[in-house]
Amino acid sequence: MPDRILRLQHVEVRVPDLELCAAYYTEVLGLIETARDVRDGAERVFLKCWDEQEHHSVVLRQAPTYGLDHMSFKVAEAADLDHFTTKLETAGVAVKRYAARELGPGWGEAIRFDAPSGHLVELVHGMERVGNMLPMTNPPPRPQDLVGIAPPRLDHVFVMAEDVEAFTAFFTGLLEFRLTEQILANDGHQLATFLERSHTPHDVAVITGPNGGLHHFAFWMDDWNGIREAADTLAYHGVQIDVAPTRHGVTRGYTTYFFDPVGNRNELFTGGYWVDPDFEPITWTEEEMGRAIFYYHREVNERFFTVHS
Amino acid sequence: MGILRLAHVDVRTPDLDLSAAYYSEVMGLQQVLRTDDTAYFKCWDEEDHHSLRMRYHPRTGLDSFTFRVEAEDDLHDFEKRVEAYGCPTTRVSRGEAVGQGESLRFEVPSGQVMELVWDLEKTGGLLGKHNPAPVPPPDLPGIAPPRIDHLLVNAEEVAEAATFFTEVLGLRITEQVLDGNGHQLGVWLAGRTNSPHDIAIVNGPNGALHHWAYWLDDWDQIRKAADTLAYNGVQIDQGPTRHGVTRGNTIYFFDPLGIRNEVFTGGYWVDPDSEIITWTEHEFGKGLFYYENVVSQRFLRMHT
Repeated sequence: MPDRILRLQHVEVRVPDLELCAAYYTEVLGLIETARDVRDGAERVFLKCWDEQEHHSVVLRQAPTYGLDHMSFKVAEAADLDHFTTKLETAGVAVKRYAARELGPGWGEAIRFDAPSGHLVELVHGMERVGNMLPMTNPPPRPQDLVGIAPPRLDHVFVMAEDVEAFTAFFTGLLEFRLTEQILANDGHQLATFLERSHTPHDVAVITGPNGGLHHFAFWMDDWNGIREAADTLAYHGVQIDVAPTRHGVTRGYTTYFFDPVGNRNELFTGGYWVDPDFEPITWTEEEMGRAIFYYHREVNERFFTVHS
Repeated sequence: MGILRLAHVDVRTPDLDLSAAYYSEVMGLQQVLRTDDTAYFKCWDEEDHHSLRMRYHPRTGLDSFTFRVEAEDDLHDFEKRVEAYGCPTTRVSRGEAVGQGESLRFEVPSGQVMELVWDLEKTGGLLGKHNPAPVPPPDLPGIAPPRIDHLLVNAEEVAEAATFFTEVLGLRITEQVLDGNGHQLGVWLAGRTNSPHDIAIVNGPNGALHHWAYWLDDWDQIRKAADTLAYNGVQIDQGPTRHGVTRGNTIYFFDPLGIRNEVFTGGYWVDPDSEIITWTEHEFGKGLFYYENVVSQRFLRMHT
């Protein structure tokens, strides 16, 4: 099966205080503001990580509530949008199509549809390329004038669904994602699943919770030492850290969780492993769920399960 | 259809016992099978039968390198494409090679034997699939990398080899080094791993192997690996240091018979439509070793 969906392209999140959040995402997290616009009466700020070539990977939208507006995945070819439109419509899923730049500055041609959990999902092709902050000839390995944590790129998104199995079937069956890990309840049903297209442990993951919920979105860091330094930066700025640097059992990744100023959960992530297309999924049982999520502490704080946006 | 990733490297050694001791105790691979004249090794996180095959031969050298293809029927398509380019191919049937099913072999324009395979015998990683620990037991000997990462071969005509790998095999160039006349001195190529390289080709004698590399999770592991190498008296070629090309962190060193190994981490994400990064000849030193900024003659001229 060809690589149609390549990776997570962007998330658009709702924030009740746009200026406060824009300051946090640029000065503490260290993203770069690339544009602003007003759409449907709401002001938006467009952000990217330093090593990303395309126009944006995070969009902040002024809104009365917090949470996820939509998640967007990059496809390899424009024809892939037709492929998925046909597949989704055949399965009875309504699909809307948008021309390039119709949805905002730098935006590619896109299709949008609802997942069974109510999440708005977008597939996009042909984003405007604005370049990373390095030249394409004799580039240094890293720019020197970065501020804040400055992760190189967006990594994955983690959402909540009442019916994890329906969400998983939708992503694997219609969108051609692969299951890498699952947490099974004692009665055998899926409590959480981890799904990928990029040969990594996850591009999107889902855990049992209210439909439409955002648990967190995560940025890639190059190594564990970068996670530790990031925790220093977060603490210095008084950011509320949800989970201090630790290790996951699921994905094997290193992580720290924290909240943006309006309560959307962010993560910094590194590690993981290579995933072949015929990778046999890893299964975690309910009694090992604590170790699955936080390997060192073997228990999950109640806030981690109950607080979302 | 496509080239997925590096699966295994097959090399010759004049001292199989010495080589086997080094790869199991210093590199920290698992010896999965040993016969009179051949030893098979894998890394702890690899699910396939092996990623290194060493056989006894009076002279050190590269037998072949093997890439896994994305789907089972890709072998048929690649057979047609490689033959159409003018390289004769050979089918190796199931049962002829240990740890894998049917494969396709051919000589690339730079003289190395390349093999493509989809059907690899799955023997499983060390951790299993049921509530697995995220790391292997702490008593694994040696460096113990989780997996093989890439290899670098030499070619007298780098541009010709690069054309074969891109146009026939569908790999993508991520970075290149150009001389003052615009000729390619080196190219770095990616398959489906979205990483800076699965194979690289640098100017040098046809048929030669420059090195193959194992992945490590971060710079701290690279530093620990250097401690392990030094403790065991292994000759370090370069590093620990940073590449300009690929941005990776690296150490190069030689196995007991003079084959160059690398441990590597870092890099960046590569999309299919990513633009090629170009290095000019006068910045080649930084491209190779970003901190030292030297074009090491040993590094360029010594190969297997």
